[in-house]
Amino acid sequence: MGLCGENDFNKFALLLAVVFLAGCNAAPQDEVSIRSAEVGFAVKAEPARSEQPKELEQAKAAEKEKPAAKPKSKQAANPINELNQPGIAPETLSIPSIGLEADVTHLGVTDSGEMAVPDNGEELSWFSPGYQPGQRGRAVIAGHVDDLDGPAVFWDLTELKPGDEIVVSGDDRELRFKVHTMESVPLDLADVDSVFGYHSSPELVLITCSGTYDYDRGTREERLIVYASLVKE
Amino acid sequence: MKKLSVSLVAVLVLFSLLASLVMADEHGDMAKVRVLHASPDAPAVDVYVNGDLTLEEVPFKTDSGYLEVPAGTHDVEVFAAGTEYAAGEGVLQADLEVEAGKAYTVAAANLLESIEFVVAEDSMEVTEGQAKIRVGHLSPDAPAVDVGIIGGDALFSGAEFPSITDYAEVDPGTYDLEIRLPDGTQVLPLEGTELAADTVYSVFAVNTVDSLEVIALVDYEAAASPDEMPTTGLGTPEQSQSMWLLIGGALFLVAASGLVWRKRFQ
Repeated sequence: MGLCGENDFNKFALLLAVVFLAGCNAAPQDEVSIRSAEVGFAVKAEPARSEQPKELEQAKAAEKEKPAAKPKSKQAANPINELNQPGIAPETLSIPSIGLEADVTHLGVTDSGEMAVPDNGEELSWFSPGYQPGQRGRAVIAGHVDDLDGPAVFWDLTELKPGDEIVVSGDDRELRFKVHTMESVPLDLADVDSVFGYHSSPELVLITCSGTYDYDRGTREERLIVYASLVKE
Repeated sequence: MKKLSVSLVAVLVLFSLLASLVMADEHGDMAKVRVLHASPDAPAVDVYVNGDLTLEEVPFKTDSGYLEVPAGTHDVEVFAAGTEYAAGEGVLQADLEVEAGKAYTVAAANLLESIEFVVAEDSMEVTEGQAKIRVGHLSPDAPAVDVGIIGGDALFSGAEFPSITDYAEVDPGTYDLEIRLPDGTQVLPLEGTELAADTVYSVFAVNTVDSLEVIALVDYEAAASPDEMPTTGLGTPEQSQSMWLLIGGALFLVAASGLVWRKRFQ
């Protein structure tokens, strides 16, 4: 019985070694490229963005309460001034669903025109010449997927699911965004103007590296891009 | 059950293929379109684009925000909310041609009995440090109006229904504006209007003249973008890594077979 077990173990060990060898031959163990190979989703946008109904309902309710108050019901506040939607200069970012909490630095572009990133794997960087989180448009925050020691701040970004919450804080305010789209885009196909571009409502965009490593270019072939929309308080 | 799961997988694969096609499209030639409900007596509407329900229950005085659509011609059709779709049966239909990189406002205007589309191209640029504004006259029974500084010059003169003016670029700041008749009679005051730098505004006069009101929208806010995406990996997967694993595997194999051999010779 004991012998038999040992024999089995030997066979198993042999098998394991062979499998191990075969596996190694087939694919190098580059976990970033494995993790980002099959990612991507897009939640269909809600059919209509209607900013006014809530106010409209409130106005209607108010009218009901005070039927004789304002028969002409002209707008009290200047509707142009209600468009004012200031953002924040982000200081910290957290994503509870993947246990991420990080400080956010403010950076611009590198000499070669790339969005600049921190020189370490712990911090994130906000593209400060672009849109502020909370302002209409796409505010972009980037972080490294790995550093010299292994996984970095955005290592688990591929784990995000639709609806996950991203919390950005700064200027004594806290903004909540909900993840709606994730895609891994080949570097040459990335539409930079769109990723950093104007949008009718505030969006937050997170970027990290994905895909297989291109030794010639010295960077990964793709970028993982996560889009989230502002949750109205 | 197995059959079901197989076909499910097939469907999923198909969907992801479609999704990747759509995504690839997004990086090509897209245009921006927003829809505005400006017909005072029309019910909330559903908007179909090329037969697909795209906007649902859009009430009067509401806009959709910019939607990304591929450049080209699109069949845009408007139905009273909840109406079953039938091609060509909508209260309003148009073949809308949109160009890549451009943005458009599509307003459903006029009273329901003579509802019509008013389409304008929106500006996606502004001189640095300046503000840009235009007005749309979408109040079906209101006369031609001017929009200008109270007691001062008109910014826009003789705007008639249904039309959207060209943009005027102004210094950012606070303006006491008004909508007035060409003879100077005030129709609607817009005092203390703050126009921010690097921002493009559209201000639409809507509803009937006896309850005239204004919808204000931001068309664009300028901000910088880089030329290239960031380089967001400090690590480099070691090219020799697989070699080490190979050697490790080989050693393991030798050790394991050693065990087997020892077994045999015992």
